[in-house]
This record gives sequence, structure tokens and C-alpha cells, in this order.
Amino acid sequence: MIARPPAAAPRPYRFPNFSRQRLDNGLSVWLVPLPERELVSVHLLTDAGAAAEDEPQAGIAALTAQLLVTGTQRLDAAAFAETTERLGIEVSSESSWDSARAGFVALGEHLEAGLALLAEMIRTPRLDDGEFDRLRAERLNDILQARADPGRLADEGFIRELYAEGVPYGRVSAGSPETVGSLTVDDARAFHAGRYAPDRAHLILAGALDEAAALTSIERQLGDWHGAATGHRTIEPRTRGGRRVVLVDRPGSVQSELRVGHLGIDRHDPRLFPATVMAALLGGVFGSRLNLKLREELGYTYGARCSFDPRRAAGPFTTTAAVQTEVTADAIRELLGQLDRMRNEAPGEAELAEVRDFLIGVFPLRFETTAGVAGAIEPLAVYGLPDDYWQTYRERIEAVDIAAVQSVARDLVRPDEALILLTGDASRVRNELERAAFGPLEVIPAP
Amino acid sequence: MLDVPIERHALGNGLRVILSRDPTAPIVAVNLWYDVGSKHEKPGKTGFAHLFEHMMFQGTATVDKGQHFSLIQAAGGTLNATTWLDRTNYFDTLPAHELELALWLEADRMANLLPAMTQEKLDNQRDVVKNERRWSVDNQPYGSWDERMQALVYPEGHPYHHSTIGSMEDLSAASLDDVGEFFATYYAPNNAVLTIAGGFEADDALCMVERHFGAIPRNAALPAPPDMTVEPILGEQLRETVPDQVPLPRIYLSHRIPVFGTDEFDALDVAADVLGAGRASRLYASLVREQQLAQDASVFAFPIVGGASMFALWVTARQGVTAERLESALRSEIDRLASEGPSEEDLERVRNLRSAQGAGMLERIAERADRLSMYACLFDEPERIQGEVARYRAVDAGRVRDALQASIHDRNRLTLTYVPAEAAP
Repeated sequence: MIARPPAAAPRPYRFPNFSRQRLDNGLSVWLVPLPERELVSVHLLTDAGAAAEDEPQAGIAALTAQLLVTGTQRLDAAAFAETTERLGIEVSSESSWDSARAGFVALGEHLEAGLALLAEMIRTPRLDDGEFDRLRAERLNDILQARADPGRLADEGFIRELYAEGVPYGRVSAGSPETVGSLTVDDARAFHAGRYAPDRAHLILAGALDEAAALTSIERQLGDWHGAATGHRTIEPRTRGGRRVVLVDRPGSVQSELRVGHLGIDRHDPRLFPATVMAALLGGVFGSRLNLKLREELGYTYGARCSFDPRRAAGPFTTTAAVQTEVTADAIRELLGQLDRMRNEAPGEAELAEVRDFLIGVFPLRFETTAGVAGAIEPLAVYGLPDDYWQTYRERIEAVDIAAVQSVARDLVRPDEALILLTGDASRVRNELERAAFGPLEVIPAP
Repeated sequence: MLDVPIERHALGNGLRVILSRDPTAPIVAVNLWYDVGSKHEKPGKTGFAHLFEHMMFQGTATVDKGQHFSLIQAAGGTLNATTWLDRTNYFDTLPAHELELALWLEADRMANLLPAMTQEKLDNQRDVVKNERRWSVDNQPYGSWDERMQALVYPEGHPYHHSTIGSMEDLSAASLDDVGEFFATYYAPNNAVLTIAGGFEADDALCMVERHFGAIPRNAALPAPPDMTVEPILGEQLRETVPDQVPLPRIYLSHRIPVFGTDEFDALDVAADVLGAGRASRLYASLVREQQLAQDASVFAFPIVGGASMFALWVTARQGVTAERLESALRSEIDRLASEGPSEEDLERVRNLRSAQGAGMLERIAERADRLSMYACLFDEPERIQGEVARYRAVDAGRVRDALQASIHDRNRLTLTYVPAEAAP
């Protein structure tokens, strides 16, 4: 290969400076002024994610979050949508396991008006029973749609079969048909009253803003918001354990959607940085081992990848690929082979340098937009990470060496106890899976 | 609205070069549009333009297979490529000091692809693309909609009649000779636009472009563009029902409309947003929130430039709602807008949504570069980027009504209805 052209001197880039203060009511306010921007992103995080709901009410966090955008005591659903959208603002409100997030992106000139509407929505939502019934029906319809979608079917089957009975992480954070079907608007009202409160909430603004003016506006809109949130429970991420194969039969499938993995790590795991580098090398970039083998060498798939999903408690470690039906067993064999190889074969210096340099170098691209910067503050707020987290991120990635990758691979990649779940046509793949004997095989119908 | 800085240049070999400096940006985007898409494919070769795009990542005489990705990513960059009806685009975004790396790699594959091409690479990427098709079309609920829509809205033989992903048979038939011929025909500097946006010095960038692209020979015999002529409207109502492995019926409507770049297209772009953008849109408010017949609603005018474009809508029925009932409610919303036109409130809403989206587009360097390449490639006028929000905002109620009455009616409508199959095949 002819030598690549030399790089010029790097332009210095550092994560933008931000300020953080707590209002008297406990609300944490994070301000990231970005000069020369037209837009500003506003994210309001509350401790109202799925980890804050009671298990018999699974799905209430998601439904409550969605219900918020259907109006306020002053403005009904139609009026709230029109008022916000006439400012060019599309308000979003959604929940994940560890938080709920409401927010918007707006031209800087509409920040004040947008903040006022966001505050009104959070503090005095309409929580209308007709709108609640509609959203619940939409969620039940969405569950039907998920069952027809092979990728979503595999995602949901994987966590259901991975976690032990009764562990919340065994279902999607938006809830299951059984629990969603029984929820009522009173549940949403109670959830809102108990979980949406300033003491555990964080308001993040990034982009076109003047700090003093923004603070004044925030004090005016949210300074007299009062209350204390119940907070989240602690999830014990027990799994069923043991290597086994679960085939979710989807007749007529021309591909098998594979999900292979086991328990991963939580957000505070000290191995997070080496695990991030290792996962990138194994299945996080185009030139990763999984993608090179299954796609670029064998042509079995359009893409193979893997990831951790660190939450307050341990989310799954999952490898993912949709493979042609005819090569299902071969693809699983190759995939498991790469997991073994990750444990047994240390990465070369160049291989490691490539992913490390990517994770370090891609830094300015990740934070190009105001939404990207606001999103980067979120883990600091939700997980209480140190303020210098992004300032020190690059050196901590840089410090991951071959020994660290190998050590973390041996700890965190465990094909011997992997759950191998796939959706596919059982009439075409069952026999070869039996012959391949990757583990005890269970065939179940799609729900 | 910020003004986008634009400098136009051209090399001796015909490569058009667009520079858009943003001295504060720590990153730089390199974006190439080749004036070749699936509309240029010959009969029996559907899917080839896209398969060829995959071959562009398979290494050259200079750079090994996989190295293009590796080098850009190790520099902290991201990259990809896409193929659509009118064009193929390749894009690299990376820290500003690595600009020359991306230029070198893009020039290298424009010049040196063929000596390293092998049957093994073609067979591998053919399998990958077939799996891409299985994943996005054949194994996906409703996955065949755009293929069916194009086949019915454009007549047999029209370059938009077939889908970009192509058929399995045609992918199987693709040969190394096809790769060579396609490369020699279309991957020439005088058939491409190169845009650089972000943090760089213009003089430095131009020197680099000249150094890496300057010696690549032009194709003196670029083929004439394909004949895109088509009747402006269908002239009839077409209907097709598709039994599929889906739990809920979904209705797709499509219409022939004037192409991207015309005043009528801009008016229909506004109409699409009045009907389908946001929770205050006509279809969301009526079908999803008030009547609760639909699970979702989307409306889209395709930004394509050959002969006629498409104005498409789709809505998914809630459980228990028949396709007939939903279709009738959908049509009455469309007809009401066509006869009355949008209100001033409708227009204020979609204009302000578009202004915010326009600002969101400009804050992403790669998006800015891609739009500059698009306007240069399709219209030879990158400056169109400056006026795109203004053109949208200039559309008034009368223009929306006129454009809807001209194109969005039963004599120009395909109705494609997906219904749950009685039993799995």
C-alpha cells in the first residue's frame, strides 16, 4: 500500500464548558452555551423511567411520558400541538429504563416560549382519560406490529429468555401486553404525581443561549415547582444462565435473526472503558471481527455487530446478525467462533490502535449538534458521573492496552453460557440446529 | 437563516468542486455525488448501481479491501455511501486535519478500482446485497411497498419502474464485465461533484483536490441521460391488494407529480407537511387522534428529478378498523385540503417547523455537504441551498390548492393495500 497522506496538525477540540447549579427546589440545571448556533436543545430528565414503576404496572412510565404531550390543563391535545408546532417546536417525551426525558430543539429566539410550554406540560399536564385510552390502544397495536417484525421479535425473545422469571429487564421497558392492557389513567396520574418532581430532575440546555437570561427564565418557569419524587427501585439482574438455543418459529422467513449473548455490565462497572474498546473491536465498527468474518468474508449477512447496554443494573451483552436461512447453523458456529477468539487471541497492536483511535478521534463528530451535546450531559446527570467525564474520556480510552482488552474479554465474553436465540423458519432450520448441537434446543411459536 | 458560503471550482478533467468553509468547525466533510443511480441500469441489470457502490469499498490497486473504512475510522471519521434512483453518494466526515486522507481515498477509488477487482469480491458483495434485500424487503412486514409502488406508478420500461435494490435474479446475473463497464462509463470525474464542507483553508483544499483528482481521465463518451419522459398523470385509478405477514392493514397511496425543483413540487412539499408533519397535522389530528382509525400517518414527496416524481401517503389501521373505512377517511382529509386549501395557521405551522429543520440541517456539516452536492449534481446550481427554506416559505394557500387539484385525485392515484394473509405461506 502506498503511504496515506500525512495529517495536518490537529485542531484542538475539547468538550464544551458547561455550568451546573441546583435551584432551591432541587432541580439541577446544566447550561452549555454554544456560540454561533441558531438552535438550542432542551432536555428535562426525571427519575420516571421504567425502573421507577411497580412491576404490575409495567409500561406506565412509557405511557405517562407519551401522555404528557397530549396537552395541559390550559391547552387540550390539539391546542398544545398547534401552539408548539407554530413555534417550529416538536415536543418529545419518552422514557427509558433509567429516566424519562421531555424536550425539544428550537431556534434560539423561541427558547423562552418553548421553556414555558415545557414547564406547563410537566407541571400541569392534562392527563386526559380519552387520550390515555388512545395511547394505550396504540401501544397494544404496536405490540402486535412487533410480533410481525422478525428483528423486534428476536430482540424481545432474547431478553425474555435471558433474564430470570420476574426480572423487569426480561421485558421491553414499554411494558408487556398483559400489564399494559390493565393500566388506567389513574395509574398515569399517580405515576406523574409521584415521579415527576424537581428534587431528582435535571434540566439541560445546550446551544444558542445566554446563561443569565436562560437562568432567569428557568427560575420563572420552574423555580416554584415543588415536590419530591419516589425514585427508582433497585433491579437485581438475575439470569436463567446456561448455554441453550431457543428458536422462535416464524414460518416463511428467508432470514434468521440471531441474538447471541448473556448478562453484560452496569453503568458503574470499573471495566466500562476496556469493555467499550473491546466491544468496538469485536463488533462495533465496520472493520470489527464479527463484521469482517460474517459479512466481508462469508457474505452471510448485511451486518454483524455486538454491544453492551449498561444501565443502573446490568443490561445484556448481545451480538446481532440477520443471516440467510440456508446458512443459519454455519453463521452461529462462526459467530461463536469469534467470541471464543476474542477470549483467546489477543488483538494485534494495529487492530487495537484502530478502534482506540476511532473512539478518541470521533469525539468532535459526536458533539456536532446541540442535541448531541445535550445528550452527552445526560449520563452525567442520570448516573452522577464526574463533571470531567468527557474531559478525561479520551485519556481513559487511550489507556486501554492489549492486556486490558484481553482481560476484559475473558471476563465479559462467555460463549459457554450464551443464550442463542433466533427467529426463523423452524421447518427449514430446526434439523440443522439439532445436528449442530450448540446446546439444548427449544422451539417455540411466535407469540 | 445563515448564509452558506459557497465557492465553485472545476478541474480540467471536468470534476466539479464545491467548497463551503466554516472556519470554526473542528471537522470536515468530503462528499461525492456521482450522476448515476438505478435509473441508469439496463434491462436485466436491476440493482447493479447499488451493488457497484458496495464494490467501491472492496479495495483498489493501492488500498486493500477494508482499508478505506479502517483508515477513515482510525482517523476518527465516519463514512458510508448510498444509492438511489437518480444518484450514488459517498461521504466521509472526519477531524479537520485529516481532510487529505479522505480526498486521497476517494480519488484513489475513482482512479484505481478495477485492477484489484476479483470474482471473489463480487461474489461476496453479491451475497451481502442479497442479504440486504432479504433484511429490508423480503423478510420485512410491508417491505415490498416501494418496489410495488414504483412498478405501478411508472410504466414498464421507464427508468423508475424498478427498485434500487433490484431483483434477486438480476443480482445473480451481475458479472465482472458489468463492473468494468459500469466503472468506465459512470465513475469519471466529469460525471461527479465533489463537495468539501467544514474547517479547511480553500487554497490548501484546492491544491489537495488537484493533486489527487487532477490526473484522473475524463470519460469523453458519457452516455446521454436516460429518457425519463412519462405522462404527467396516471390517467386512471390503480388498485392492488397485497396479502402479507402483517397484523394490521396498511394503505399506501401514490401519485405522479411534477419533479423536485419545480414550483409545483415545492407546493406539494408544503401540502405533504400540512397533511403529515407533526401532531397538529391534518392526518394525525383526524385519523390518529380524533377518529382513532390509524396507528400512524406519513406523507412524503420524493425529491427525484426524472419525468415525474411521486407524492406518497401511508397510514396503518388500528386493530379492528377495516382498510375500506380507513381509506375513505384518508381520502376525505386529502379531498378537503385539495378543495379548501390550507389555512394560514396550517402554513405558519409548517413554515416554522421547516425553518427549524433547515437550521438543524445546516448545523450538520455532512448534511450541508450532501445538499450542496445534490443541488450541484441535479441542477448544476449549488446556490439553491440558500433559498430552500425561503422557497418553501413562499408557498401560499392558492399554490397548495392548485397543486393538489392538479395531481392528487382519483385519475392519478395508486392505492396499495396490505392486508393480513389468512395463513402464513
